[in-house]
Amino acid sequence: MRRRVVGVVSGIASALFLSGCATNAPQDTWQPKGPNAEIIDNLQKPVFAVAGIIGVIVTVAVIIAVIRFRDKGQPIPHQSHGNPALEITLTIIPALILTVVGVFTFRTVFDLAKTSDTEMIINVTGQQWWWEYDYPVQNEFGITQPIITSGQLVIPAGTKVLLRQTSRDVIHSYWIPALNGKRDAVPGRVHLNRIEADKPGIYAGQCTEFCGLSHANMRMEAVALSKADFAKWVANQLKPYTSPAENTLAKEGETVFMNQCVRCHQVNGMKRADGTPVIAAPDENIVSGAAPNLSHLMSRNTFAGATFDLLNKSCREDVWTADSESFGAKYLSGVSEDCLNQKDLRGWLRNAPAMKPMYANPALLTSTGGKYRGMPNLGLTEADIEKLVAYLLTLK
Amino acid sequence: MFSTGSKYFFGITFLGTIAFAIYMLLISESAIGGTALFGLVGATALLTGLLLFTRDGSNGEEGVAASAAAPTKSIWPLIAAVGTTLLLVGAITSTVVTLLGVVLLLAALVEWSVLSWSERASSDSAYNASLRKRLLNPIEFPVLAAVGLGVVILSFSRITLAVNKSVGAIAFIVLGSLVLAAGVLFSVRPNLKRGLVSGICVLGVVGIVAAGIASAGVGIREELVLAKEEGHYMHQECGAEKSEHFDKLPLEGVSATASVDTYIELIDGKLVASVQGFAGSQQSITVPRSNPTNILFRNKTEGEYRLVANLGSKTVADGVKEEVVHCTQLIEQGFEQLLTLNIPKPAEAGKPFTLTVPGLAGQSIEVIVP
Repeated sequence: MRRRVVGVVSGIASALFLSGCATNAPQDTWQPKGPNAEIIDNLQKPVFAVAGIIGVIVTVAVIIAVIRFRDKGQPIPHQSHGNPALEITLTIIPALILTVVGVFTFRTVFDLAKTSDTEMIINVTGQQWWWEYDYPVQNEFGITQPIITSGQLVIPAGTKVLLRQTSRDVIHSYWIPALNGKRDAVPGRVHLNRIEADKPGIYAGQCTEFCGLSHANMRMEAVALSKADFAKWVANQLKPYTSPAENTLAKEGETVFMNQCVRCHQVNGMKRADGTPVIAAPDENIVSGAAPNLSHLMSRNTFAGATFDLLNKSCREDVWTADSESFGAKYLSGVSEDCLNQKDLRGWLRNAPAMKPMYANPALLTSTGGKYRGMPNLGLTEADIEKLVAYLLTLK
Repeated sequence: MFSTGSKYFFGITFLGTIAFAIYMLLISESAIGGTALFGLVGATALLTGLLLFTRDGSNGEEGVAASAAAPTKSIWPLIAAVGTTLLLVGAITSTVVTLLGVVLLLAALVEWSVLSWSERASSDSAYNASLRKRLLNPIEFPVLAAVGLGVVILSFSRITLAVNKSVGAIAFIVLGSLVLAAGVLFSVRPNLKRGLVSGICVLGVVGIVAAGIASAGVGIREELVLAKEEGHYMHQECGAEKSEHFDKLPLEGVSATASVDTYIELIDGKLVASVQGFAGSQQSITVPRSNPTNILFRNKTEGEYRLVANLGSKTVADGVKEEVVHCTQLIEQGFEQLLTLNIPKPAEAGKPFTLTVPGLAGQSIEVIVP
């Protein structure tokens, strides 16, 4: 029996230990993919080693003491009080270790806080439970008009990008482990966080400050493109809105969108039949006052706060496993009808709160003045969903 | 003549009578309050009389008291009486008075009980006294020190709130220096006469408390009165009014001014923006939708100017639109003021949001809301 228990415990411990060796771990803090994450990595590895050695020594010492000196009915040994030499030594050694760690930690903190050589700025706004990215005008990158997107942060590789982070509702925390450490997004404040990716690719992240019901579903992805590909992405984002052709399913979908979705979701450039611009009013319907801007939705790979993929499994795999040379072209091809993750998108349109908890129960909205904390169930018919999917596919 | 119990109830009767008189003459003529206090006075007067008559219920024997000595003179019966009276007066007048009564009553309860117990601990009154000290001094000294410090701090805060800000700072430095000097003197001259040390301490405390009382009588300085009366966000309308004290309000102002995203400066008649994270000055700023963005306007040009945020229009009724404009106050050269923008929607095409300064043509900063 005792052997069996030891065997089970050892097996679990080994499995946990070996899980740390997984290579396909997109949020692994030990695989830096940019200079800022490298700076952190250079600090955490030696600190982890020192802390690990000390931890092992202390643990082994405790285990030896517990086993060897356990109560076996022996007489109480001679009690002595105080050993100044030992006590001073055991005080000085940890103090020295902490001092050395402290010096290098401070240096790292200051290195990470450096913003003087920033090349690009992106505003990042968190809200329950998604991230919005807006790119102020920066002519050197071809951004002649502000760009707004969500879910996926698109950056040029090899560029020092400064994120100006804030929040619209509660405190969130932005963390893409491969590119930098975490930084809180606090309502009413702007916190600076710099990231840089060495190579083109997708880098996953996760909100790391508990922010409510769907905190675990508040994900983010940073997409790094080569400078040439980034210019193409910018050019695509600045393309004016094109209404679907008349007498098509997509055109009918546009009408459904205007009747339902536009209460919260903006599509830049969309106009009503009388020529007046369509401006969404999320401030009247959502606690945070914002909903994702869906302009060029199908140029992204995710939706609903990067919780779900817009690409189906095989197409997603194709993008995620692409090498840095071919990645840009695959990402920029966006979401085609063949690659669309129809199941999740339709499920979302059918009943969003069933897929991602979002305080959609009207009985729970009294404290928010009737406003939602996410997308409610709109009660769309299957025909409306069909039309909307056709329309959303045109938003490239 | 007076027994211990009768002293206690006599104290309540006496103070209750005073409270009744003050209440009826100065505070309120409420029948309920008056009746309650009069009832208290009557009841305690009756108890006083009964206790005097029965000598606290004593049958003339000393019982089993271990100590033959007379009970120690004590102030706690009187404090208990004051506490009880304040408790009842507070029920009618103010919560603060009630709390004070509760504190005094509890203190008296503990002190009186321990005193009474210690006096019967042994036949040695010196030992009994040391026993009481051993039990109560660890509580008494920190509490008294805290109360004393609280009185000094409260008094000094009244002084700094009453006088000019610069004078307050100087007073703080002078007082701090005097305390330091006294501390140094006491430490380098440990053989100073006890009377002298006590005299210096008492003189200092009395001086501060007296000045504090005088300052409280004068009231807080004018700019703080104005700041208290003005709400932090009430001056965003664009009237002709002016407020020098707007961003000196200590409560909401501190957090807002610690979170400034954009500085808009009017330098020699030119408007320039500095945005956190951006190098150099900007001629347009990007503000996220539906999110408070703090902008600090600094006037570095001679004359009085205000920053005006022109934020398009909003529909107030069917077919009726109203311009949305937020302003800082008119502020003089060298002053600054905070403006918090929360814009729910992007601007319509061709009608950008702007920050302008009336009276200065051609000076405009575009506000982009993606």
